[in-house]
Amino acid sequence: MSNPVLRVQDLAVNFCSHTGGFLRRKERVLRAVNGISFELHASETLGIVGESGSGKSTLARAILGLIKPSRGRVMWLGENLTELEEEALRQKRKEIQIVFQDPVASLNPRMTAGDIISEPLWTFYPNMAGLQVEERTRGMMKMVGLLPNQINRYPHEFSGGQCQRIGIARALVLNPRLVICDEPVSALDVSIQAQIINLLKDLQKKLGLALIFVAHDLSVVKHISDRVMVMYMGCSMEVSQRDALYRRPLHPYTSALMKSVPIPDPKLAAKARQDRWLTGDMPSPYNPPRGCIFHTRCPYKVKRCEADVPALRRMENGDWVACHRAEDLDLSI
Amino acid sequence: MNQEGILRHSATRLLGLIPTLLVLITIAFFLIRMAPGGPFDSEKVLPPEIRANLDAKYHLDEPLMQQYFRYLGQIITLDFGPSFQYKDWTVNELIARGFPVSLTVGGLAMLLAFLVGTSIGITAALRQNTAMDYSIMGVAMLGISIPNFVVAPLLILVLAVYQGWLPAGGWDWSIQRMILPVVTLALPVIAYIARLTRGSMIEVLHSNYIRTARAKGLPGHLVIRRHALKPALLPVISFMGPATAGLITGSVVIERIYSIPGLGSYFVQGALNRDYTLVMGVVIFYGVIIILLNFIVDLLYAWMNPKIRYDEVQ
Amino acid sequence: MTIALPIRILLASSFLLLAACGDSGSDFSRPRETRNQPVELVLLEDGRPHPAVLAEEQLVRRGNGEEPQTLDPHLAEGVPSTHILRDLFEGLTTESPDGDVIPGAAARWNISRDARTYTFYLRRDSRWSNGDPLIAEDFVYGLRRSANPETASNSAVMLLPIQNAREVLAGELPAEELGISLLDEFTLQITLTGPTPYFLGMLTHPATYPVNRRNVEEFGDQFSRPGKLVSNGAFVLKSWKPRVSIELEKNPLFREADQTLIERVVYLPIEELSTEVTQFRSGGLDWTNEVPNNQFKWLQRYYPDELIISPWMGSYFFGFNLATEPFVENPELRQALILAIDRQVITEKVTQFGEQPSFALVPRGIDGYVPFSPEYADWTQEQRNEEARRLYELAGYSSDEPLRVEIRYNSSENHKKIALAIASMWKQVLGVNASLVNEEFRVFLQNRAQKAITQVFRAGWISDYNDPYSFLEIFRTGRRRTKLSSRNCGCDAILDEVGTERVRARRERLMFEAERVLLSDFVIIPIYTYVTKRLVDQHLRGWQNNVMDHHLTRYMFMLKTREPEAEVPAAKVEPEPELVPEPELVPEPEPQQGVNDVPSSEISDDEDMDVDGTSGEIQAEVEAEQATRTRKEGKGL
Repeated sequence: MSNPVLRVQDLAVNFCSHTGGFLRRKERVLRAVNGISFELHASETLGIVGESGSGKSTLARAILGLIKPSRGRVMWLGENLTELEEEALRQKRKEIQIVFQDPVASLNPRMTAGDIISEPLWTFYPNMAGLQVEERTRGMMKMVGLLPNQINRYPHEFSGGQCQRIGIARALVLNPRLVICDEPVSALDVSIQAQIINLLKDLQKKLGLALIFVAHDLSVVKHISDRVMVMYMGCSMEVSQRDALYRRPLHPYTSALMKSVPIPDPKLAAKARQDRWLTGDMPSPYNPPRGCIFHTRCPYKVKRCEADVPALRRMENGDWVACHRAEDLDLSI
Repeated sequence: MNQEGILRHSATRLLGLIPTLLVLITIAFFLIRMAPGGPFDSEKVLPPEIRANLDAKYHLDEPLMQQYFRYLGQIITLDFGPSFQYKDWTVNELIARGFPVSLTVGGLAMLLAFLVGTSIGITAALRQNTAMDYSIMGVAMLGISIPNFVVAPLLILVLAVYQGWLPAGGWDWSIQRMILPVVTLALPVIAYIARLTRGSMIEVLHSNYIRTARAKGLPGHLVIRRHALKPALLPVISFMGPATAGLITGSVVIERIYSIPGLGSYFVQGALNRDYTLVMGVVIFYGVIIILLNFIVDLLYAWMNPKIRYDEVQ
Repeated sequence: MTIALPIRILLASSFLLLAACGDSGSDFSRPRETRNQPVELVLLEDGRPHPAVLAEEQLVRRGNGEEPQTLDPHLAEGVPSTHILRDLFEGLTTESPDGDVIPGAAARWNISRDARTYTFYLRRDSRWSNGDPLIAEDFVYGLRRSANPETASNSAVMLLPIQNAREVLAGELPAEELGISLLDEFTLQITLTGPTPYFLGMLTHPATYPVNRRNVEEFGDQFSRPGKLVSNGAFVLKSWKPRVSIELEKNPLFREADQTLIERVVYLPIEELSTEVTQFRSGGLDWTNEVPNNQFKWLQRYYPDELIISPWMGSYFFGFNLATEPFVENPELRQALILAIDRQVITEKVTQFGEQPSFALVPRGIDGYVPFSPEYADWTQEQRNEEARRLYELAGYSSDEPLRVEIRYNSSENHKKIALAIASMWKQVLGVNASLVNEEFRVFLQNRAQKAITQVFRAGWISDYNDPYSFLEIFRTGRRRTKLSSRNCGCDAILDEVGTERVRARRERLMFEAERVLLSDFVIIPIYTYVTKRLVDQHLRGWQNNVMDHHLTRYMFMLKTREPEAEVPAAKVEPEPELVPEPELVPEPEPQQGVNDVPSSEISDDEDMDVDGTSGEIQAEVEAEQATRTRKEGKGL
């Protein structure tokens, strides 16, 4: 395989918050992303999955530099993004782009679709002729499945799915090499979700993009991902090839996630409900459990899980997992 | 976008002004006449002959309804009549002289308040929860809570009496004489606008499309200018409508302390002296100003917020 | 915490602010502005200031209270208007710096034996500011205009002593029937309904001024505008910006223009008293209209030379509503309430303005009249309280059954403080439960006049003219100029007699009697008599204190500022031999300046009405400055 375009190494993001009065001020640290590492190759799609609060969106934004990481490196084509000055980092937006979760709210309601899509062009290519900008904008709109004559419409005149198409067009207009999709479809109707996912898949193929696709639900990433990373409370639990993962999850948490996927068939759904065991809430992120971070909810936990933190280690098939019992559990579906 | 829509909207609004004004005139007319005492009462009671002459001259001897319709007929020709108190002037003349002063002082104060208020509000918002944010907002809080009649004499004392940099009061349309009243008038508004701007700016900065703008790779200042400013200023704009009306119609306190010939004192003096024509003239004038300003704010609002325009057209 | 920190900062900063104020409190209270000192006043032998001591720019800026209501002399009402009109116009008579009535447009006059007919002889060289000669017809025209119902003058009260004035004002007779006739181009006769000793003083009031007929007929309502107004006084109207300024310029055609030193007068309408003070302190005013009570002590300490306090022709008192209980037939109670007030405390601790505590209605020093003084005026306050308690019980009240009463006043800090002091004195001495009610001015006036809910009310009177009659007249039930009194206390008849009495001494006795009757019926609670208080720049001289508080700008002048280096050698002031250095503390220009140029040939051997008028049959051709100490109009509250 060729060299990875993106290499994330030991990336961590901490959020500090304060409690107490002015005098008895306490600082609490929330480890939203806690030492994540992975690689991404050109034209590859990595799915990132986890419950809400697992830090996946934070990770996505930290890669982009929208959030300052507390630790670790983001190597983009051999360059460490975390060390870049603001202006240099801003220049990287031409190469790395993001599509956001809430498509309507993410568009400035005071700008037309055309303005929204073309704004990056104006920003990075101020000398570009107006006509050329418009042409490219219309081209992008067509490419994402919008009618070019909707160029002067405002976001509130579009449906959610259309808005997400605008968001995608806006992200792609600069010809980035990596697009991070931060739960791009979670706010959309199921029928529209598929359209958007297919669109992204097509575009990826057509444009040869590297894609990071964040979702809270394994079924969404199934069709688009080459590999899938499962996150829990800021930590990476498993990074596997898609097919391997869906066939035989290595981590109990992955398995739990898979079982919690809503199933359209009522019979199967009833069965699924029976052995749905991912109960209980996630522990307080301010006060994560010792040992394996998942042990409080894990049905397979052993003594060791409460004491030792399992490292993310490579399995024989090349996938990665962070579970002491990865070898002796068979979680295949 | 939709010029026709805006035109239609404007026309409707302006037509709506007529019944509003009529109600205003009627209420004001009867209210001021219901107030005890009359324009010619004073410590020294006038002999009946003289009183009768005065009443006849100003038609106060007619039945009230007749006076009302006489007044209506008169203001249709935009004539507010002679002032009872300032006998050498008509109400039209007094307003024509007083309003430009109030408009200038109030307008400049609003401009100053808007520029300074939004600037420091944005500054504070961008440095949220830093020492600078706290000190700006602390000072703004002080600005809101210290009333004009405390600030003004202090400013006069220090800048005019002790330092002699500026005149202590009076009016001649010179910049020097405008500075103190404009600043005094603007201070609490600056403070208010700063707080308003800070709050809404913080809210806007947390919104998703600002995140998008950052992600697009816009430089920070462009993110603020192109994306955050307009929505952050919306509450300020809607505040500015009535606030501007309040400022340009003249503040009695400022006018008295700085001895400025604005409109506010005419209103108060007119009411205290039962100068019926003057009070009525100023009330009607105020009414028109306030209605017009609200109308302008609506237009501005629509311009800044396409969603409203859309709803209008729908 | 997001909330906590700003509040802490706020608190911290307000402490800082307080600390700063407290720290430098002593510094703050001391004036920091620089004040120039004038050179010493040096007079020429004829009593006029030496040209060398005069400032180059003879400009005076006078604070003038509220915006004047009009500059049409016949509509004039309120002090601000009349101040300016006295500079713009001149009546048949005018006033000297100390307020005495002296010849104005009329050089001299005769008063008939029955004191009802006045013949005025005009100066032949007087001109209007447009060059027209000032003739007797201008006065006839002016007085008729003033009395004309269509003019609707509310100061036409001043005309009432003139024959037929009441009928003309009522529209029953045409204006031509007014008791005024033209004898020749420069002679004019005015007939009165009865002897009116203060009539000459009334002629200094704007309501009696002449107006230029051509001027009025050309511009109608608008003739009093700048650029249009033609006047006959020492100054002409140059500009009038409402609520900004009224600027007058010296009138070169005025008969005494060569003696008028001020070239320019700017009247500044400043409503806010404290603004007047700050403008004065920052050098924008030479003369304030008033000073605020709350700054009085401070000004007294730091501006002792500029702060001028002088008696004024006004009384401050409270009244009883005699139309309702409990005061109707209860003189004991009324007297008890009058006695139980310590006036000394009110003037010295409450108002603190050097007002004179008073037990009478008429202020002292009006035209030589000595007001009635009840016996308790000479008691100690302790004795008065003693007597008050006795009378209070006599009236049927006690600590178990105290009097409950409302004191009503119009909203004003000063009235409130005084009412509060009175209420607490009554409480302390008698145990009266008095409550305070304050009302907006016109509401107050209406309630006071209706006599339904009012019990004890504030009142005050500033005289229209320099005569005790002005004060007594307000308690006449017939005329009801104030609606203060509701029943005839017995003084109506006496006042009627006063109105027809020509003999000064007898008239004075009658007025004294009327005041005695009034005060012995205990209808008012006298508190104090007024003073005027103002700041005057030390450069401004030529004026004098007077009870009328009328100060014509034409007597004033500005001194030069003393050069800083000239401060050390004091002897440097009189280098020129012809100078007579006369450093005077109070500027006292020649007392009879106004009279000096009356052609002496026209002054006949007059007899003074004061002394000789008693015979009742002499026809006195009177040189005004001696004959009358009558002064006129002031205006009120």
